[in-house]
Amino acid sequence: MKFHVWFGALLLMTLAGAAACRKNAESAKADPLLSAYDTEADWNDAQHVVPLSFQQAQGKRIFYQQCVWCHADSTPAGPSNRSNLTPVPPLLNDRATLNAESDEYMQNIVALGGTAMGKSAMMPPYGRMLSAEEIRSVVAFTRAIAQPPYQPPARAESQYSAK
Amino acid sequence: MGKLTNRTRLVLAVSSVMFLAVLAISPFKDFRREWKQYKHSYLRFAQTRPDTKKLVADYRPDIDQIWLPGMNVVDRCTTCHYGITQASLADQSVPQPFRAHPPIPHNVRDWGCTICHRGQGPATEVAEAHKSTLAWEQPILPTRFIQASCGTCHYADLPQTPQLTRGRALLAGLNCQGCHRLPGVERPAMLAPDLTNVGTKVSREWIYKWLKEPRTIVDKDGNVTVNGYEAEDEPRMPKFRLTETELRGLSAYLSVQKAKAFVSYKLDARVVAAWTKNPELASQGELRFRQMFCSTCHSLAVTRAGETKLIGGDIGPELTKVGSKVNPDWLITWLRDPQGYLPHTRMPRYGWSDEDLFKVTRYIATKLTDPDLLTGVPQLGQPREDEIQLGRRLFLEKGCASCHVIEGLNPQKDFGPDLSAIGGKNTSELEFGASKIPHNLVSYIQAKLQDPASVNPAARMPQYNWNQPDLDAITTALLSMKGAPPTSALQNLVVPRKEVDFHPTGAFEEVYERYKCYSCHKFNGYGGDLAPDLTYEGSRAQRQWIVDFLKNPQTLRPTVVLRMPQFNMSGRDAATLADYMTMVLQHPAANPTAVDAKQFTLAMVALGKQLYEVKYQCQSCHTIGGTGGYVGPNLSNAGDWLTPAWIEAWLRNPQALVPDTIEPRRNFTADEVRALTAYLTTLRQSIKPQKTASTTAKHAATQGAGR
Repeated sequence: MKFHVWFGALLLMTLAGAAACRKNAESAKADPLLSAYDTEADWNDAQHVVPLSFQQAQGKRIFYQQCVWCHADSTPAGPSNRSNLTPVPPLLNDRATLNAESDEYMQNIVALGGTAMGKSAMMPPYGRMLSAEEIRSVVAFTRAIAQPPYQPPARAESQYSAK
Repeated sequence: MGKLTNRTRLVLAVSSVMFLAVLAISPFKDFRREWKQYKHSYLRFAQTRPDTKKLVADYRPDIDQIWLPGMNVVDRCTTCHYGITQASLADQSVPQPFRAHPPIPHNVRDWGCTICHRGQGPATEVAEAHKSTLAWEQPILPTRFIQASCGTCHYADLPQTPQLTRGRALLAGLNCQGCHRLPGVERPAMLAPDLTNVGTKVSREWIYKWLKEPRTIVDKDGNVTVNGYEAEDEPRMPKFRLTETELRGLSAYLSVQKAKAFVSYKLDARVVAAWTKNPELASQGELRFRQMFCSTCHSLAVTRAGETKLIGGDIGPELTKVGSKVNPDWLITWLRDPQGYLPHTRMPRYGWSDEDLFKVTRYIATKLTDPDLLTGVPQLGQPREDEIQLGRRLFLEKGCASCHVIEGLNPQKDFGPDLSAIGGKNTSELEFGASKIPHNLVSYIQAKLQDPASVNPAARMPQYNWNQPDLDAITTALLSMKGAPPTSALQNLVVPRKEVDFHPTGAFEEVYERYKCYSCHKFNGYGGDLAPDLTYEGSRAQRQWIVDFLKNPQTLRPTVVLRMPQFNMSGRDAATLADYMTMVLQHPAANPTAVDAKQFTLAMVALGKQLYEVKYQCQSCHTIGGTGGYVGPNLSNAGDWLTPAWIEAWLRNPQALVPDTIEPRRNFTADEVRALTAYLTTLRQSIKPQKTASTTAKHAATQGAGR
């Protein structure tokens, strides 16, 4: 009899202890659009909405202030200036032109202008007006809305990395 | 010691084993702690990445903590969110909690996490840190309201937080400050129309209809949407829940508000006689209506391709059916002198002639009407004394008096709850009533905004029709209001709102008030944002050009629709405005004597032309004489329009003059600046001093598209 009481009490304690070890809380699957700082509808497909991070959202803001006039077909003010220009500037989501360029090249052409990079002088330099951070964010926005998505070039493994 | 039986030995043996097992529970539980599991899985995760060495370089197996004693921050979030500063983990495919924090202007180590994200910083369990527990009532702020956290310190509007700025603009624009105390939102002189004399303007039936359904226009299916049409903004007058008796009482009370005896303006009888029989009366009236650019501030419903939309500005009320609303005699008197009826109106006083007044009022009274406007409104008859008394009481009790002024009526102070600390309220401080919504602050604010009666059936707050972005924007603005400003032992964290004001005096003030320049233009940060900022107009434009423009406005930018009305301004008024601008509205960086236009040589002009056309290709954005881009202003008349000092200062650094201009700052040399200035000052284009009748007609028809 005594043995059963002891045993039962110990068993209960063990179970209570084991129950106290909780499982890891499962992380809820959040909708990426709800947790995005801002969004932008795909220019070719309005149903496809791209979530933007803070940096990309800043790029979007600067794009719609500075660049939209020549690098988009519709602007907040109505007609686009794009048709006035020769050569015609690429659209911002133009994958054939922009996905082929590196981030460094894109930052340089925004900062230094078309002339410095051997392109049309109609592209003015923005390096004295926008900060390096702002230019980076514009390029980040470009990458975010490129269709199909921009794939950064695979970086060669460092020759010093131990393998 | 007696001899132990086998049975006792067995009991002791088993209980010892059990005891050891129980002792082991505690270390085992400690090993199984949530954060330790995340630490282990971070190590495993880092092994799968190419830059493992970098990812685990500073790895420590214990709790990681950001401790900022100055700001009362103890944040252990980085214990599990270990990769937030690792740039290579920024990709969306990286699983949480290891993903890098997106780049933001603040360094995480200097500010901690809970300052922006809320939640319980010292907690070491997922549920305790993120969700509201009884001991800590501020759960994690959902990411789509994260801009609220910028607003707790940045009282000034930031370009980086459009949602917050929109929410603050909504709070101010919808007159929330009429009933609620809101930090940083000032009460203007007039929130809603002064109703002291409203009985002379509209009928009792119209008041009844308006109170019952403020959006007077119902679409063909009988559905009431915002103003009946697709309109971008929520109308300022919300819908109150009123019973039939209340509607009768309020309409009776308002229809007898005739404090000032109404003196109708008598039009010249000869003008009336000459035009009454003219079949072109209404079409001529419409033409003048358009030429006066009424649509800059007022909208009209226009049906194009089967779709009806409101087109026009939102500074004044929508006018599609105003002919059925107002008393025609009142309309003439109003148009002639709006400030005589409402001292604080934003409507300018135009220099109408009797002929114009007659034509335009006939147009409004005959064309902008709706015979069905008052269908469904019962015949109310003469207001009875008991109805008037009830209306007067309701006007105060329903909060009408918080926005609308009636002379001699004292509104209750602080009619609605004080919202200056709403964003920091704990869940236990909120009254959820019988509603089934989740018990947290965000749900509470959104439910209250969408249907005030859902959380409190006795709520006096009127009903609004939000769309989701506006609802989220206004929630963000409310969440940003956390009461006492955040402080730190080290520094004052608040970035204050810039106080702006502009109080001109003298002759300029009289003209400025009469034409209400500030309804559209900004002066020193004060005024509307529909039209260009005129703070430095005196430095920018030449005096004679300002005078000519005021008398005969035209657009300078090819893509911008001209919206500046022709005020029929007298030469004296134009000169008063131009004199004040050239004397006072000066930019300190544009020294008028810095450039001597006489020193420019023909060679400099030729060099400037070449720089403009070839080296810098300014024609990509600017138009000269018909060719060029649409982005910047038309420069065809730059020599008569801009002062040489402004051109020179602008070419050196546009942002120094207008900080948010989109003209990029170029790297011109001093010689290039001089040559371009010389070239631009030679550009002239004669403007016809007076428009002929045919060109004005064409101009108005196309809504003005440049010169």
